[in-house]
Amino acid sequence: MTYAIEAEGLIKRYGDKAALDGVNLTARPGEVLAVLGPNGAGKTTAVRILATLVSPDGGSARVGGHDVVARPRRVRELIGLTGQYASVDENLTGTQNLMMIGRLLGMSRADARARAVGLLDRFRLTEAGDRAARTYSGGMRRRLDLAVSMVADPRIIFMDEPTTGLDPRARTELWDIVREQVAGGSTVLLTTQYLEEADQLADRIVVIDHGRVAADGTPDQLKSRAGHRRLEIRPERDLRKAHDILTQVTGVTPHVTRGQATHRPATAEATNRPSKDAMSRPAGGTAAAEERAEGATERTADERTADERSGAMPGRAYGPVEDGVLSVPIIDPAMVPEVFRRLEDAGITLTEHALRRPSLDEAFLALVTTPSPELSTAPRLSTGTGGTASASRQAPPPSSEPPAPRPTVSSRQPQSSGRSMA
Amino acid sequence: MTSLASHRARPRSGALIQGLTLAWRSLVPLRNEPGRLVQLLLQPIFMIMLFVCLFGVMTGNQTGTAQFLLPGVLVQVALVATNTTGMNLAEDIGNGVFDRFRSLPIARSAPLIGRILADTLTMLLTVTASLLTGFVVGFRVRTSLAETFAGVTLVLLFTFALSWASAWIGLKARSVASMQGMATAVLLPLTFGSTAFIPATNVPGWLRWWMDVNPVSHLAASLRALLTGGPLGAHLWITLAWAIAIAAVFFPLAVHSYTRRIR
Repeated sequence: MTYAIEAEGLIKRYGDKAALDGVNLTARPGEVLAVLGPNGAGKTTAVRILATLVSPDGGSARVGGHDVVARPRRVRELIGLTGQYASVDENLTGTQNLMMIGRLLGMSRADARARAVGLLDRFRLTEAGDRAARTYSGGMRRRLDLAVSMVADPRIIFMDEPTTGLDPRARTELWDIVREQVAGGSTVLLTTQYLEEADQLADRIVVIDHGRVAADGTPDQLKSRAGHRRLEIRPERDLRKAHDILTQVTGVTPHVTRGQATHRPATAEATNRPSKDAMSRPAGGTAAAEERAEGATERTADERTADERSGAMPGRAYGPVEDGVLSVPIIDPAMVPEVFRRLEDAGITLTEHALRRPSLDEAFLALVTTPSPELSTAPRLSTGTGGTASASRQAPPPSSEPPAPRPTVSSRQPQSSGRSMA
Repeated sequence: MTSLASHRARPRSGALIQGLTLAWRSLVPLRNEPGRLVQLLLQPIFMIMLFVCLFGVMTGNQTGTAQFLLPGVLVQVALVATNTTGMNLAEDIGNGVFDRFRSLPIARSAPLIGRILADTLTMLLTVTASLLTGFVVGFRVRTSLAETFAGVTLVLLFTFALSWASAWIGLKARSVASMQGMATAVLLPLTFGSTAFIPATNVPGWLRWWMDVNPVSHLAASLRALLTGGPLGAHLWITLAWAIAIAAVFFPLAVHSYTRRIR
């Protein structure tokens, strides 16, 4: 058996809307696969199919080597599922929740109790074990949910947005649990809206958007694929003129942000206090910029809508706004001195300027479109990865959290991918 | 593959054991939180106190009113209690507990069996509480133990049949609130448009027609006869026929939407 989880061309429709439109993904035994995407991208649908909760309208999937449609029962014997909304029985205590599952799985009362005690201890819930789950905090409930899904000691674990809505500390705790489980040799598929989470935990990331795989690779691969450096300038005045110069030099319509410059260090994460806004907020757009750099100077309907939504100024109606930050992707490093020379020639002084690498957020968001329904019908640019590229180019809001140094991906322990599952 | 599967305890219990476990799961909150038990019992107690005492005062004949009304109110309370089946199913579906069960290698029917088992037991509790409250407010059983037992069993059978309708609505409903709304729309005309509370004399023709057809009338009349004596007539058989008919329609419907839900 090569893959613990394997899906080919998964299609799922709800009405005339395709929740999944041909998704391929694989996870090797002992690997952590993150399925990353905005709300409504199809992540949950994919997990539900793999966990045998819904059947696909097309394509096929195997979990632990068993077809999820043909042999759901075998699949269920192998998996643990942690839902997006903690699916514990709130009226039962922690112990009772765990014992119920043990009994359902055929354990004796004594075995089920022993297992419950062990899991409560491992998930630091012993003291709360005799309280109704309803009284638990969000983090405790999520831990209980995870504990419940591990009663059978499953080798393959699905976690649908395990940390959504948790505070940073509870999230870190949950990450530790996931790492522990992986160290024990389990295969984990987790969905998340948080890039940082995927980067922290995953060996590989599949980016899903609008029911399709927009990108696929290791965190490092994805980061390098998506990133051009961006030049940001804040002219003292003559924003319009500066805008035109940037356009002429780079061949790309600059993105305009009113107010404060987005001088975030590349390591800063807008995800520390995550909200769905952080994901849906258009940012980066470098993939789209590449498209345009290849001669496509005409703006798509997408872009215009995105601009109108974000309040950015469309190039055709500039207006008298004088304070703002212009931002363009830099494809050719030689463009930078050229830009400054031309600005100087035009007598435009800059109050701020920066050349920065794309943040992790932008790197990934460059690979997905904004999830707003009004954009989904508009024609979309297609990238080389088969995905769609957003033309939204507003930088995410500066993080309120101090930019903590993020451990690099390579510093993590290599996963035990060599473990045989056969 | 075998080494993989051996990590998981092999289910050796059948659907029934799993159903019992899930019935336990539904009943254990009553023990965890006595407030829930009180809430469960307050409904019949209040309804019976209210109806029997109020009408008793109005008619000036407490005992006679109790003898006539108690079986009717008991039926009404029992029918309303069938709501819980659908409501609990809708709740389990809504909060994801159902999905957890479905992701386990257990019998597909276990959650439904567990639900109905638990609800039948709580129904027994409700009926018992109703009879005891009736005793307090002056109701006396005038028949043999066997007839009393038959009467209680008839109520349980009828509500069991009706709980499949409740389960079907619960499985179809989008939320607990909409389930409640739908159930009330069905139950109100059934209970109040029956001879449970008033005799079918001195009512307009159309209402009389409906009261004669209404299965709840027959159930109430049967229970009245089985608890206080008097002619049972065809009421028992008509009630049983209705129960079978209701189950025959709604059991397949509930199972169908259930299997669609659990696929």
